[in-house]
Amino acid sequence: MQQLYDTLSQRFSLGEFTRQRADLAFITVGAVRLHALLRHLRDQEGFTHLVLLTAVDWLEDGQFQLTYLLNNRAKCQDLGLRVMIARDNASMESIHDLWAAAATYQRELREMFGIDFPGSPRLMDDFILEGWNAAPPYRRDFDTLEYARATYRERPGRETRDPAAHMKQQLYGDKGDV
Amino acid sequence: MSISDVLSPFTAWKNLFRDPVTIKDPLNERPGAARYRGFHKNDMDKCIGCGTCETICQNGAIDMLPVDGIPAVQGDSGLRPRIDYGRCCWCALCVDVCMTGSLTMSNEYKWVESDPDLFRFTPGVDKKYWDNAELGYQRHDEKHLMPVAREEMPELHPEARLDSFVEIVHGYSIAQAKLEADRCVSCGLCIATCPAHMAIPDYIKAVRDGDYERGVQLLYATNPFSQVCGRVCTHRCEDSCAARHEGDPIAIRWLKRHIIDQVPQEKVIELIGKPAAPTGKKVAIIGAGPAGLTAAFDLARLGHAVTVYEAQAAGGGMTRYGIPEYRLPYDALDKDIAVITAMGVEIKYNHRVGTDIAMQQLEADYDAVVLAIGLHQGRSTRIPGSDHPQVRKAVDLLRQITAGETIDVPKSMVVIGGGNVAMDIARSMARLQMQHYGEIRVTLTALEDKAHFLADPVEIKESLEEQINILDSRGPQACVIDDNGKLLGLKTWKVLSIFDAERRFAPKYDPTDEQLHEGEMIVEAIGQMADVSLLGEALTEKLEWNRGRIQIDPNGRTSENWLWSAGDCVKGPDVINAVADGHRVATSIHRALTPQEATA
Repeated sequence: MQQLYDTLSQRFSLGEFTRQRADLAFITVGAVRLHALLRHLRDQEGFTHLVLLTAVDWLEDGQFQLTYLLNNRAKCQDLGLRVMIARDNASMESIHDLWAAAATYQRELREMFGIDFPGSPRLMDDFILEGWNAAPPYRRDFDTLEYARATYRERPGRETRDPAAHMKQQLYGDKGDV
Repeated sequence: MSISDVLSPFTAWKNLFRDPVTIKDPLNERPGAARYRGFHKNDMDKCIGCGTCETICQNGAIDMLPVDGIPAVQGDSGLRPRIDYGRCCWCALCVDVCMTGSLTMSNEYKWVESDPDLFRFTPGVDKKYWDNAELGYQRHDEKHLMPVAREEMPELHPEARLDSFVEIVHGYSIAQAKLEADRCVSCGLCIATCPAHMAIPDYIKAVRDGDYERGVQLLYATNPFSQVCGRVCTHRCEDSCAARHEGDPIAIRWLKRHIIDQVPQEKVIELIGKPAAPTGKKVAIIGAGPAGLTAAFDLARLGHAVTVYEAQAAGGGMTRYGIPEYRLPYDALDKDIAVITAMGVEIKYNHRVGTDIAMQQLEADYDAVVLAIGLHQGRSTRIPGSDHPQVRKAVDLLRQITAGETIDVPKSMVVIGGGNVAMDIARSMARLQMQHYGEIRVTLTALEDKAHFLADPVEIKESLEEQINILDSRGPQACVIDDNGKLLGLKTWKVLSIFDAERRFAPKYDPTDEQLHEGEMIVEAIGQMADVSLLGEALTEKLEWNRGRIQIDPNGRTSENWLWSAGDCVKGPDVINAVADGHRVATSIHRALTPQEATA
């Protein structure tokens, strides 16, 4: 994998290289270089299969991380490309022209993280969240509990106790004024 | 057509005698996968009702409710989680976060009922057929959402402290304190165990938020001795910490110290604010220890004029004259006391009640009097030879060391006792020996065996690091004196048992296992009692007593309506109990002095 990285380095400006296992490595790359690099990996280096496309919300850094995982079936190698994009008005170049299946991943990321992929087919169609009207739920600032409280009816008969308050009531009663 | 094309259909026949992969009776048998996240199980022997499962549940599916037959006790709220399966999404966050590992999931997922309310139940309490299911989701043994190990406290190395009274514990850095605070799940089980019921989860949150000023305000709401308690508290709260079940308890005591270490003295006084307007009522407090000064602080803040009478030259009581400087530096104690005097409390040092001023005078001059004199009289073993001048009491020696008096340091000595005071005097004298002679020869003999030592485990560990020779199960028999009247050492027998069948103190020895421990000095550290001679004969007669202690009501009031008593002299056994006691009598006195307002 190191050899692949060295070869790629001569043609592309690459960021950090992480060799996770003998057959798995990750390369960080700038967003504008991704498309050309993917095309090169697919057509020249044997990484013909897009395994998955996923995202991580680095809320504190104001960034999304996109991870494009490719597989070279002949060499049994996996290569992940990591791209950091701004979290505000997040948008990324579509790769559906390289792998048609990418459109489905991009639809999912649009729905779950709110990342735009201009030109990606059926991007705005509901993926699994039919009729969703709240913030994209995989964003880390999405408050799941608050959403559940606001959306779902409370069944009658629910009640709860705070452990500290309950112990206070049960245990301090006979010990004077404190 | 080839021959293989003809034969291949028959090769399928070889499967005839194999076990089928499919389920025979799919309508009735549908086992979940081995780690399937099915209905919950909860081990009632392990659950402590901390409610962390309720807090983490992102669907609001869990309620904490009392259960018949499970009372609230120290470290267990008595509540148990009830789950509403109309909301549960089976994500298992509750299992992942469970502090004791009591909450797990079976791989059972089939259950049909016509009554939807039945799908709200308390696992482990409401019996279900999957309660004993072996398969299902459990958190990986080594994977915890919360780090299980405590942030290590930086300390002086044993070699560096052998001859030094410099404080051993350095205190957390801000980064360390944040990491340690991050381990707290804010369940609040600790609050009930703390005698002063300090707002522990809230002040730990203040550390997380880096808001030390709010932290100080929270500390002072329940405890004016945070410098002291942040260092030497017996921290029973940590025994009730939910984190102790699968790791180290949160370092609650060190986090308290961290907060108070971050805020300068003047800021602390400013944060507490000014006392209430003067009420015109006067209260005298005897003893400037934690109980007396806590009561003084509370009463002064309520606007009463408080005068504290202290026999010694400085305040703090046993925290100054009993606890060695390497555990509690005097300047830390001085800071706590300075905040209390800044509230208008007047402390008259070197004023011994009974000698310099009589109890009758206090009764006449003040609206209320608090007796908070602690336990400053050492008990004696009364073994033969214990009246020798070189047989000393630990409390007396500790007081002399603090007061800076010259002590004739013995080259070798024996300590009788296995509690914290015994460790304190052994370690203090070892330091003096190191300073004077460059070597340590201190033997400590305790009645208890190692497993039942009364001292804190950390005291024993540090004593051993400091070359104290600790002998367990040794019963003192005589202080051996030669013909010239010189003390040679302590004779002990092996202890067979300490208590009789009724748990009464009745040690049994093996006289054939006799040892002589060499010592130019013997120190008795077997307990203390209150010196109540200051009361005078008439008042001693009038007061009601209970087994040698002044009788008090739950609020600390004695049988004389002008006199309250608090702290070690009537209760025990540590600083934080004394603080709680101080609050209690202050509240009671305030109510007695302002009956109209109190009932309005």
